[in-house]
Amino acid sequence: MTESSQPGTETDPAIAVYGLTKVFPVHFHPTRKVVAVKDLTLRIEPGEVYGLLGPNGSGKSTTLKIILGLVSPTRGRTEIFGRDSRRVESREAVGFLPENPYFYKFLTGAETLRFFGRLCGMTGATLKNRINELLDLVGLNNARDRRLGTYSKGMLQRIGLAQALIYDPRLVVLDEPTAGVDPAGSREIRDLIMDLKRRGITVLLSSHLLAQAQEICDRIGILADGVLVREGRLQDLIAIENQTELVIADASDELVHEIESCIGRSNAKLLERRKSTTTLERLFLESTGGNDKRSTRE
Amino acid sequence: MIPKRHSVFSLSRILAITGNTLTELTRLKVFYVLLVFGLLLIGSSIFMAQFSFQQEFQILKDVSLGAISMFTSLLAIVATARMLPQDVEDRTLYTILAKPVPRFEYVVGKIAGVLLLLAISTLVMVAAFLAVLYMREQAVLQVTAKQMASAPPEQLADALNAVRASAFNVDLIPGIIIIFLKACLLTALTLFVSTFATSTIFTIVVMVFIYFIGHLEATAREYWLMAHGGGLITRVFLAILALLFPDLQAFNLVDDIVAGTAISMAVFFKTALLGIFYTVIYTLLSVFVFYGKEL
Repeated sequence: MTESSQPGTETDPAIAVYGLTKVFPVHFHPTRKVVAVKDLTLRIEPGEVYGLLGPNGSGKSTTLKIILGLVSPTRGRTEIFGRDSRRVESREAVGFLPENPYFYKFLTGAETLRFFGRLCGMTGATLKNRINELLDLVGLNNARDRRLGTYSKGMLQRIGLAQALIYDPRLVVLDEPTAGVDPAGSREIRDLIMDLKRRGITVLLSSHLLAQAQEICDRIGILADGVLVREGRLQDLIAIENQTELVIADASDELVHEIESCIGRSNAKLLERRKSTTTLERLFLESTGGNDKRSTRE
Repeated sequence: MIPKRHSVFSLSRILAITGNTLTELTRLKVFYVLLVFGLLLIGSSIFMAQFSFQQEFQILKDVSLGAISMFTSLLAIVATARMLPQDVEDRTLYTILAKPVPRFEYVVGKIAGVLLLLAISTLVMVAAFLAVLYMREQAVLQVTAKQMASAPPEQLADALNAVRASAFNVDLIPGIIIIFLKACLLTALTLFVSTFATSTIFTIVVMVFIYFIGHLEATAREYWLMAHGGGLITRVFLAILALLFPDLQAFNLVDDIVAGTAISMAVFFKTALLGIFYTVIYTLLSVFVFYGKEL
């Protein structure tokens, strides 16, 4: 591990959480306390997409806030690329999208990105080019000069994601990135996260939308009442060890009968036979034209 | 990936927050206050046409400087009270502090934005006041010259000088600077209250109380000292009270200036330093409380 004040090295985890506990006092009840997170230890490697899952009030947002230095831990510590996350400089490689962000309603999309870019020390042509690039990436170029007060929920999430990416971060933290967004907007955000993954950017997201987390996460951790109850590679956690699925296209009835006969002659047991189905999301998007609506929705 | 270098202090980050705060307040149309000030000036000019020129200039200065003091104080409290609670409620604060922005830069940037707004507003109001005063002075000079056309030149010159003397008085400038510093003090104090307040309305209510207590404090203190004497405990108590509730009446130098009492430079600098001292202390206290705040 590096010194906390030094820039991180390639071998440092993107996020390291050691024995984190957060206890909140209850106002007007000096003796009562709420344990939001209890003895949490996590390690997220560079390039991973990690999903922190759990029901409302399970401690996901508190964990993210402590990692970002917005809330101080009661016990334990957190590091970002080897740097103590209480230190301001740990956040120079981080982009953050909070849950249900509003941003400044009086700014336009382009002005919002310019403001956040300047906070990261960007100026001049570099900032201008980055703003154009990000507005293209999140599909908001047509709405760049509209004030955020007129943006839809999905557009706000996308401008939020753009501001999180303004300084080319190595780590992106997303708190419920698709909460309240319609299926088309939700899919766009998911595609953007997949794109981040392809570019080697570490993503930590909290969500209670399990189907979506299953699609994009490499590893997940499940929090319940502030305690990490399950953690690991998604495929390992959800695989059923003694079962195998075959998906066959253009199989004749004879071929299917033959496979079933083979199974019957062995010790294996056929549990279910069904037609493959599309997902409800895909059906919805095909029916509503959501696949190619981005450019016209603004 | 090359590690990016973070500077502990960045003027450019502070200016970004300052500029953003000013843009916000401008787009919230707080400058409409200036429109109200303009209407007040026009209204009072019409009303004053019936008085002698000495009375007219006196009332014009009284009304204008009183309005500048009231509007800057009002702007300082209302514009500052909403800044922090609004940013927390909209979660914009999370997004800002999740960038490499130290908390003190956020606080300093925000307060600088309001102070800039106050400076612009004060300048515009003072310019409007001086323009009206100048126009009225010229009008009165013309009328006086016409009325005394047949009088000896010395008598005419004396009369014109009397008009000029009762119009603009250079002592007004220190008085206006003190009005601005009082607004700066109120801004910093409002920011301090808002760092631990739970809502905008709570901050405004607390500040209204402080405003009134601050204006009555000097009278109450004098009464207390006359009645009970000034022992050590009393003086310590009064010093603590003065820190919590600044003596705002001490910043009303314009009342004396308009009434024709000259203000010494010593009094001006003492009052100005007091205003700057309070502004700095409350800003530092705001930074201190904000550093420990759980978001």
